[in-house]
Amino acid sequence: MTPASPVSAPVPPTRSSRSRELLRAALTKPGLMVGVGIIALSTLLALFPGFFAPHDPNAINVAAMRQPPSLPHPFGTDMLGRDAFSRVIWAYSVNMQMAVLATVFALVIGVVVGALVGYYRGLADIIFGRFVDAIITLPFLVLVIAVVAVLGPGLVNMYIAITLVGWVYYARLMRAEIISQKTSDYAAAGIVMGYSDLRIIFRHLLPNAITPVIVYWMTDMALAILLGSSLGYLGLGAQPPQAEWGVLIAEGRNFVTTAWWLSLMPGIAIVLTGFGFSLIGDGLADLLRPRG
Amino acid sequence: MKKTLFAAAVAATLALALTGPLAAQERGGTLKFARYDGSKLVDPIYAERNPDIWMVGSLYSTLLERARDGSGLTGALAASFSQSSDGKTIDITLRDGIRFSDGSPVTAADVVFSLDRARNPDLSPWAGLLGAISGVTGEGAKVTITLSRPDPTILSMLATFNTAIVSRAAFEKAPGATDQEKSAALFAAGGPGAGSGPFYLSGFEQGASMSFKANPYYWKSGADGKPLPYLEGVEFQIIPDDATRILKLQAGEVDIAEFIPFARIAELGTDPNLQMELFPSTRIIYSPINTRATRADGTPNPLADKRVRQALNYATNKEALVSLVLHGAGAPMTSPLMSSSTPMAVKTDPLYGYDPVKAMELMQEGGFAAGTKIKLTTLAGSADDATVFAALQQMWTAVGVELVAEQVDSPTRGAKNRSGEFDIHTYGWVDDIADPSQVVGWLGHTPTAKAVGTGWENKEFNELYDTAAAEMDPERRAAHFRRMQEIYAEEAPLLFMYETPFAVALSAKVTGYVQTPLGANVFEEASLQR
Amino acid sequence: MAPLRYLLNRLLLLVPTFLLVMVIIFLLVRLLPGDPAIALLGDKASDAELAAFRERLGLNAPLATQFMLFVSSVLSGNLGTSLMLRAPVWDVILSRLPATIFLTVYSVSLAVLIAGPLAFAAALNRGRWPDTVIRAVFQVGLSMPVFYIGLLLLTFLAAQLRLFPVGGYGKGLAENLYHLFLPAMTVALYTSAILMRNLRAAIIEVLDAEYVQFARAKGLPLRLVLGRHVLRNALISTITLLGLSIGNLMSGTLVTETVFGVPGVGRLMLDAIFGRDYALIQGLTLTFAVLVTLVFLMTDLIQSRLDPRLRLS
Repeated sequence: MTPASPVSAPVPPTRSSRSRELLRAALTKPGLMVGVGIIALSTLLALFPGFFAPHDPNAINVAAMRQPPSLPHPFGTDMLGRDAFSRVIWAYSVNMQMAVLATVFALVIGVVVGALVGYYRGLADIIFGRFVDAIITLPFLVLVIAVVAVLGPGLVNMYIAITLVGWVYYARLMRAEIISQKTSDYAAAGIVMGYSDLRIIFRHLLPNAITPVIVYWMTDMALAILLGSSLGYLGLGAQPPQAEWGVLIAEGRNFVTTAWWLSLMPGIAIVLTGFGFSLIGDGLADLLRPRG
Repeated sequence: MKKTLFAAAVAATLALALTGPLAAQERGGTLKFARYDGSKLVDPIYAERNPDIWMVGSLYSTLLERARDGSGLTGALAASFSQSSDGKTIDITLRDGIRFSDGSPVTAADVVFSLDRARNPDLSPWAGLLGAISGVTGEGAKVTITLSRPDPTILSMLATFNTAIVSRAAFEKAPGATDQEKSAALFAAGGPGAGSGPFYLSGFEQGASMSFKANPYYWKSGADGKPLPYLEGVEFQIIPDDATRILKLQAGEVDIAEFIPFARIAELGTDPNLQMELFPSTRIIYSPINTRATRADGTPNPLADKRVRQALNYATNKEALVSLVLHGAGAPMTSPLMSSSTPMAVKTDPLYGYDPVKAMELMQEGGFAAGTKIKLTTLAGSADDATVFAALQQMWTAVGVELVAEQVDSPTRGAKNRSGEFDIHTYGWVDDIADPSQVVGWLGHTPTAKAVGTGWENKEFNELYDTAAAEMDPERRAAHFRRMQEIYAEEAPLLFMYETPFAVALSAKVTGYVQTPLGANVFEEASLQR
Repeated sequence: MAPLRYLLNRLLLLVPTFLLVMVIIFLLVRLLPGDPAIALLGDKASDAELAAFRERLGLNAPLATQFMLFVSSVLSGNLGTSLMLRAPVWDVILSRLPATIFLTVYSVSLAVLIAGPLAFAAALNRGRWPDTVIRAVFQVGLSMPVFYIGLLLLTFLAAQLRLFPVGGYGKGLAENLYHLFLPAMTVALYTSAILMRNLRAAIIEVLDAEYVQFARAKGLPLRLVLGRHVLRNALISTITLLGLSIGNLMSGTLVTETVFGVPGVGRLMLDAIFGRDYALIQGLTLTFAVLVTLVFLMTDLIQSRLDPRLRLS
């Protein structure tokens, strides 16, 4: 789970021993291990839903509408007679994809932009500062909803919308880290050695500055699932008949008293996955926190 | 001491419980009503959206009204009315002693003011419906309406919300330079005086709540001989979320919750504290099919061939749709152009019965290449639309259609409908007037709305429509509408789907509440039992 | 002099920020498919009616002209008229804003009440079971979807057990507190999770600091250490976090208000977007931006009062 840097950094030879040490420390953190376990399992379900789901998630069966849980249908059936268990499993691939694709581009863009403006400062930094201020004073959810409404609902457009708004938060974090790293001894050493700016930024400063960004990324993935399912609940996310947890809860919300299992299962899936990401984020923060 | 008090209270409660249900219509009480959306401005001519239109009748009376059994027109504010043999003059005599809710009399001058306002195209979006009126004059209790040409719908129009009578004096007194400003000011101020309906507006909070108080001068009497309404007032709360609205009713915080999702009808019907009402409506749900020769992107449109459109209709199991989406509370459309309760509807049952074999033949004759992608545009967040999509996708796979979904919000769907950037999209309609002309104009008459955005154009149909608009003989007019329905069914510019009732859940204490087929909420005979 | 100059500097920087906010929202709103004419006049209106409506509203004017008009009317203190609600935007916002502010403040207070004591308990028992349990429970709170939790609370606590009313806002402070308890609690579950995490870290940081270790080694009772150093640090960290996340908190009420039927600006915003009510969307966003900026400024000021190290920055 150690964050991989894009370019191998020329840090002291203690690096590999430090990774080993980190790994050993990680193994002693039960929270982190539980988180890794949950996410590993979720990833497995997301990659091979067909293997775990007993039924076709979209097969309508008018003869078996809204059945209570039974052996062939462990979570019962929905209002179209579709197997609720299979739909929750298939939703793993949508929601896990959401966690990654809604955040990873924001992460990359944010890291690059944040590193550059943090290193060079100047006019670009001033403009960037105004832009960040403008975005963070606007309501996040409203911006995303508006962008989705402009582009049209759907998963891809939702990712674009979240990325358009979300990269700013990564960039802000990265910029602050780079500014504080820039004053460090090894950055000064790099400059004395006559290394190129890009080399200093991406091989020297970045690997050290990226820890809080990675920690934030973990939390953000949990948030992305929440946000994505909120949009799904409002009908702006995943498109029918695709199963997605927010959509499943929306479909089941009229039956909370009569067929509670329809909304409870996707609800648990959201909480569990978010829990997994939060545990990893928390554990990493603990693990990578500078000592002393 | 404490104990005796308690015992007395129990006795009193018991006594109330025993005598309560005996009287059929108790007087008094405030009915609490949970709405799906709020009114913005309840004024006969500025009411544009259903939540406004459907409340007009509670605050304003019309000259005529439709008998409750739908049989014909009777006088409301009018004591009597007559139409000349050439159809170009209508004489109306107002009732004696009718008053606005502040006690001032309703006079011919108010009627002239109201009708002039209603037919002024600069003010009213509905003025087109009164285009035949050339003048309105009045004196004392007599009003004369003159028409430039005979109009078979004109009497119906006098029973429609947009011709409801407002007080001229109230408008003259209201602040504001224009009629719009005066109307908004009157609505914002609330209080009695603007109309002569069973209630007057007594409170309004934008997007949150609205309240009505009984009009003590209402012209209609109840079963006990005293003026209606039975209620002291009605309080509306806006709860857009379906599930929350129902919870509010179940918790006893409101007495009525409207627009119950069909999936919950069976469950609520078994609750002993509730009554589940399915009021017959003129609402139809259908899907316009783009009939243009090319799609918006310039590629040839496989749906331009009418055989393909017919095939899609045959390939759709409407009975199954009704059971999946409406849970049985509704029926497939039987007239291609209107609900079965709209006057002059021709019933064809089944209209395109489920026949996948015939559908496949027609698909091939129409040159539809198997595996072609067709896009169904649906409303984001609509559970019904999601179900319709899932069902159609499965049904149409059998005839070689690969159906893909596109969810959009309502204004986007409206824009796509107008620009023709769609293959098929879901849509719905509720009549505003008790006459087929409005819905037929909307769905089929090309000059009105490009035949509901489908781009379909049929010369015979358009001519029939124009002829029927001036046809005073009811039988000949009905014949024109019959022919239009034949043409439309054959051409299939729509996926004909189903009719739905208005599903309303009421507490067991409520009696006499009605939602009309046009959607209007009628509280005048509603009462609460305590 | 320094604080005043700092403040002036901050205020000056707000000018380009707000201009940018206005450009972003203005363009975004106009990029939405469909327009006010279609959204407002509805499906039944004819193309000619739509065209006349657009002309009357000046929607056919070039974008630059429309933008200048928008900026100049905002500068003169006029947010325009909501077409959808047929009322001045400012009046509408004023009537709906109190519910949202009340809900936000209420939920933040609940969150502080929940997170505060538990963060102390967790930090003082670091690494032992109370810490683990508290952290795990709050991690779950962090991942709970508001729309689902809200529904569960409404169904079971309100409709079935009748402990609370199902939605609405009520009149007067007592009724407000009662009506908004469930929605405030729903938001607080999430907020308290972030708050707890942050507070716990802040407390641990102080407990580990050399001067505290020293004070304790000298025999200063834990109670005094907590009171003197930890509380202040915890307060600073809480205010910073709440100040920074005020935007998210307020925009989070959008879903909550819809589920609980609270007539606040969150739901109004959703309605305005779906109704293509340009003036209302712009007015709401600007109001929101001003509020968030004010909170940011206040956070800064309070921070610099509490933390002398920050005064000069």
